[in-house]
Amino acid sequence: MAAAPDMLPDRPRAAPRALRTAGQTSRARLLVDRLGTWGVVAGGMAVIASILAIMVFILFETLPLLRGARVQPSTAPRVATLPAGAIVADEYRSLVAHLGLDGRLRVVRLADGALELEQPVVATGPDGAPPRLTAVQVAPGSAAFVAGTADGRVLVEPVRFSAAFVDGARRTAVEIAGGAELAVDPAGGPVPVFAGAAGADGGSIAVAPVADGLAIVRRSVQENEFSGERTESTERVLAPLPAPLTALAVDADGRNAYGGSVDGQLLWWRLGEGAPAAPQAVPAGGSPVTALSLLTGHRSLVVGHRDGSLSVWFPVRREGQDFVLTRIRDFPAQGGPIVAITPSPRDKGFFALDGAGGLGLYYSTSHRTLWTGRAPVAGAGSIHYAPKADALFVAGPGQVAELLVDNPHPEVSLEALFSKVWYEGYEAPRFTWQSSSGTDDFEPKLSLTPLLAGTLKGTLYSLILAIPLAVFGAMYTSQFMHHSLKRFVKPAVEIMAALPSVVLGFIAGLWLAPRLDRAFPGLLLLLVVLPLMALLAGAAWRALPARVRGRFPAGSEALAAILFLAFGAWLSFQLGPLVERLAFGGRFQSWLLEATGLAYDQRNAVVVGLAMGFAVIPIIFSVAEEAFSNVPQSLVAGSLALGASRWQTVLKVVLPTASAGIFSAVMIGFGRAVGETMIVLMATGNTPIMDWSPFNGFRTLSANIAVEIPEAPQGGTLYRTLFLAGLLLFALTFAVNTVAEIVRQNLRRRFANL
Amino acid sequence: MKRISARKDLLGDHLVALAGGALALSLLLVIGLVVLLAVNGLASFWPRPIAELELADGRRAMGEIHVRETATVQRETTGPAETIERLQLKGGNRDLTGADFTWIDDREVRSVTYPADAVLLERREWGNFYGRLAALRVGDRELAAGSDATWRAFHELQPAKEREFAAIRALERGPIGTINRRIQALERQRRGAGVKGLAEAERVSAEQAIDAELAALRQQFETRAAELTALREAWSREVLVVEAADGTSKELPVGAVVRAVRPNELGLGGKLALYGSRLWEFVSGEPRESNTEGGIFPAIFGTVMMVFIMTVFVSPFGVLAAVYLREYARQGPLVRAVRIAVNNLAGVPSIVFGMFGLGFFVYLLGGSLDRLFFPEALPTPTFGTGGILWASLTLALLTVPVVIVAAEEGLAAVPRAAREGSMALGATRFETTWRVVVPAAAPGILTGLILAMARAAGEVAPLMIVGMVKLAPELPVDGLAPFVHLERKFMHLGFHIYDVGFQSPNVEATKPLVFATALLLVAVVMVMNLAAIAIRNRLRRRYATSAV
Repeated sequence: MAAAPDMLPDRPRAAPRALRTAGQTSRARLLVDRLGTWGVVAGGMAVIASILAIMVFILFETLPLLRGARVQPSTAPRVATLPAGAIVADEYRSLVAHLGLDGRLRVVRLADGALELEQPVVATGPDGAPPRLTAVQVAPGSAAFVAGTADGRVLVEPVRFSAAFVDGARRTAVEIAGGAELAVDPAGGPVPVFAGAAGADGGSIAVAPVADGLAIVRRSVQENEFSGERTESTERVLAPLPAPLTALAVDADGRNAYGGSVDGQLLWWRLGEGAPAAPQAVPAGGSPVTALSLLTGHRSLVVGHRDGSLSVWFPVRREGQDFVLTRIRDFPAQGGPIVAITPSPRDKGFFALDGAGGLGLYYSTSHRTLWTGRAPVAGAGSIHYAPKADALFVAGPGQVAELLVDNPHPEVSLEALFSKVWYEGYEAPRFTWQSSSGTDDFEPKLSLTPLLAGTLKGTLYSLILAIPLAVFGAMYTSQFMHHSLKRFVKPAVEIMAALPSVVLGFIAGLWLAPRLDRAFPGLLLLLVVLPLMALLAGAAWRALPARVRGRFPAGSEALAAILFLAFGAWLSFQLGPLVERLAFGGRFQSWLLEATGLAYDQRNAVVVGLAMGFAVIPIIFSVAEEAFSNVPQSLVAGSLALGASRWQTVLKVVLPTASAGIFSAVMIGFGRAVGETMIVLMATGNTPIMDWSPFNGFRTLSANIAVEIPEAPQGGTLYRTLFLAGLLLFALTFAVNTVAEIVRQNLRRRFANL
Repeated sequence: MKRISARKDLLGDHLVALAGGALALSLLLVIGLVVLLAVNGLASFWPRPIAELELADGRRAMGEIHVRETATVQRETTGPAETIERLQLKGGNRDLTGADFTWIDDREVRSVTYPADAVLLERREWGNFYGRLAALRVGDRELAAGSDATWRAFHELQPAKEREFAAIRALERGPIGTINRRIQALERQRRGAGVKGLAEAERVSAEQAIDAELAALRQQFETRAAELTALREAWSREVLVVEAADGTSKELPVGAVVRAVRPNELGLGGKLALYGSRLWEFVSGEPRESNTEGGIFPAIFGTVMMVFIMTVFVSPFGVLAAVYLREYARQGPLVRAVRIAVNNLAGVPSIVFGMFGLGFFVYLLGGSLDRLFFPEALPTPTFGTGGILWASLTLALLTVPVVIVAAEEGLAAVPRAAREGSMALGATRFETTWRVVVPAAAPGILTGLILAMARAAGEVAPLMIVGMVKLAPELPVDGLAPFVHLERKFMHLGFHIYDVGFQSPNVEATKPLVFATALLLVAVVMVMNLAAIAIRNRLRRRYATSAV
């Protein structure tokens, strides 16, 4: 065996020392060994890397949520040679309609700037010349121009675009009809401050301050169903006006008008039937209001001030009182007085333009400033958000420019996810999860807090059941039970961990919940009866002569106690109705509602606690049992030798030594309960409410993912928010399990040294 | 001194008894759950007698008495609660009465009889029928009249009807299904990739060829459809006239009856035979009536196939990773950290894996596959939607930590002497690992695999979002090339429980079936786990003795 140590000069690790003395190792075998090593190392690393990549993937799916908006000039040429005015565009951004201060409406093709249509829209005044317009606006959230004239009228001019596909190419047509001229000032003075809206039924409304108050002019159109004859009627009323106005807004239904006064007050008129009452006046900060607009749904009012600050307001019902226009949130000030605000037609976002040429994109619900920048047109005076919220048109004297807006996830911010948010129509800021609804102007409510609370609630209630049962059970198994019994008892408890949670959920939801509904007092009795039964079993066992007891292995009494407990459980549910009659006056649920004000849901936290506790017991049991069993026998023997009783030893010696292991067991159980999906999905009502009542349902992060992700469009805000919820779950369980594992390993090392 | 310690001991004894009680309660819960499942699951196929109730107001009702209980009923929310005895009657006849179950106050029942000729008809539609047979007809001709004669005539006829029904099914699934799929494929081809990129003349001729084939196929389809209609007519020719307890009579085709039973005249042998036949139908049959009746074979098949595909992925990769971690990687803080991380991944909620499966496998991988290989089918996704492959891969990721941990444990248990001996005999490290260490660790690896399979079989949450459906019309394996359809959706036992138990319109009537399904699932998972535990114990004992 002539060893040739230098046969393998450069691979000390691949070929172990033992081989060097083995002699005739063929090159082929060494090659296989080398390749095999590479293969295993590469393969193993790849598997591990790909498992760990899960977290990275989920993280990357959520990252775009917190990205701001991207706004950049489009490549389309600017449309030049237009007088100052306002613009609206069609859905496909092929045409732009422009109403200039000269009273002429022009339709321009965006691709090449060609003029498709030009016509006057204002009827000539009494003097025969078309009157000048004082200002032109676009009614918030619609494609209708609103303009004031120098002779006391307000124009409401809806523009309708219609697209048709001819030979695969899209042709957009524009229709300008159904406009109305509403005379607000019979005296014929100029109308500098005004607001108007076009209703869906062909009616329109205009409001404007005049000498003797706020003039409200409505034009309604009634169509006779049989003859198709249209009758128009115009009605003008005056509302009290306490102070001169600088800005006005009116909602599409014509039910509310909002004004900003020169002294910095916000005025709110409620325009119901009959004569309008005096407006509600609310101070809106020192700076005069310069621009007003309404977000989609026409509930939130965006207020722009002369000092460049922006705020969002809406009417809030005060407790026991009427609605009060309330300041909800503020946005950082822009560089100049706010000139124009245009709401997004798709969500609760808006663009604001200031007098210094600054532009900002904001989102109300999430309180985010998504983008700030400069207007591409010098002296810009009007902005318009494209109907698909994918572009912004900026009009200045002489030209119109287009900015492309990429704003995928404005609804989400840390504040919207985790803080209380004041949603439209709510009386106070709330934590709410309500991701979708039937209406278009719905405000998504994406607070993860109620889901986190639901997760913790379910976990808490299940741990209340699981921790005592599992830890004491493990203590008993490890310390008081003979090895011969332990061999069967341990797997019997641990096999519970293998029970599919869908089965537990099914039993909890369809079997247990309806029964508990009928026999809840029986469950309350169990809390008293079962410990008594356990004590009774122990006493009965000790009462047996030692001779009899000695025949059975230690720990047999626990098995005997099963019978006692089964009897106790039966007894409790038999006595339940009696207790219900005596203590709860016939029906527990009615008593509960009267005495505590708590409503009883059939699928509630108690049911989940029982089912999920059941699922968690074996996990805690298994780890805790290991911790107890690993306590060195020398410690126990020493304690017993010093005269301590078995129980004293367990309490004073074993328990402290194993405490870290028990902590780790509880942590692992916590991790399991946090992520459990099927049980909570099936055994609760899945309502995302936030309270700690054991008789209510809740919704957890995991159940929420299961319920909503099949409906969430890929890459959408809801989809990514659900991924964020998943990331939270992942991080939470991973952290908890890691802590538990490290504690356990340290413990093992310590025991090894003992 | 002595008294104090004696008192302390007594307290200690009580506390020990309480701790024992905690263990006993845990065990009681396990036993209770298993018993609950077993009783409810197994009892659901046992034939119950049909009771005929005569009510105080003269009405008659027939059905199985399911529950007798004392209930506290509150007529109005504020009214006084009263305690009554009541019974729950499964009266079936959903087509006549609208509900399967009714609660009847005991005080209203005048008499209960169990007539021998009461018959239970298990139907293909509308659930059970309880009542009496009246006549058997073909058109206007009466083949039999009267309860007993009809009973006999029905039994003579039924096997033939079963065969006819099977023939109809075979025709629908076989030739007609094939023709339909071929037509769809050709239409896709004509629309898309088949003719794209060809010169004008070639395109026209290709299109003509496709059109000709399509026309021929449509012709074939017509013939087959006519054949089917004829079969259907023959099948529904014989009509059974049945009469419910309240006197309403109804006609239904003989073929629509799956099984007719007179449970009241069945002896023990007959009941056992019926039990066996129902059990067999349950595990081998297809679901009827939106999964509330019939069998669960597709769900069993789907579960098994998914677990199988998952195992194919998880075993090599799990073992490879374990061998790397234990045999090749330099043991240090980094490997320890990786080990902890892998270990903890087993504790990450399964729904997170499901989400990953949806985002990565379904949308990213599946979407790319669709764009590359199935562009003509878009926007209908082929792989870009949940399917059995993605479900299996997701579960493979979910369970690979289990396999790695168990395999590592197995590898660690192989005595060092075995490695050293192998190397001393001149084996390379690779040879030592794969010929000595891994085979010795095989029981450990097997344990891990079985645990992984058991976990996969019972897992539902991730599958809900990556490929499960209530009712898959086709199994993922069939006679159509390429025979194994990994993109298809599938049914799964666990999801079946969730779906039938919670989404079904008739929860009460479905419960027995769900219990049976749950029992089957639990039995499968438990057996796998017990096997794993047994193997692990044997492994431990082997190395406990062999380690020197």
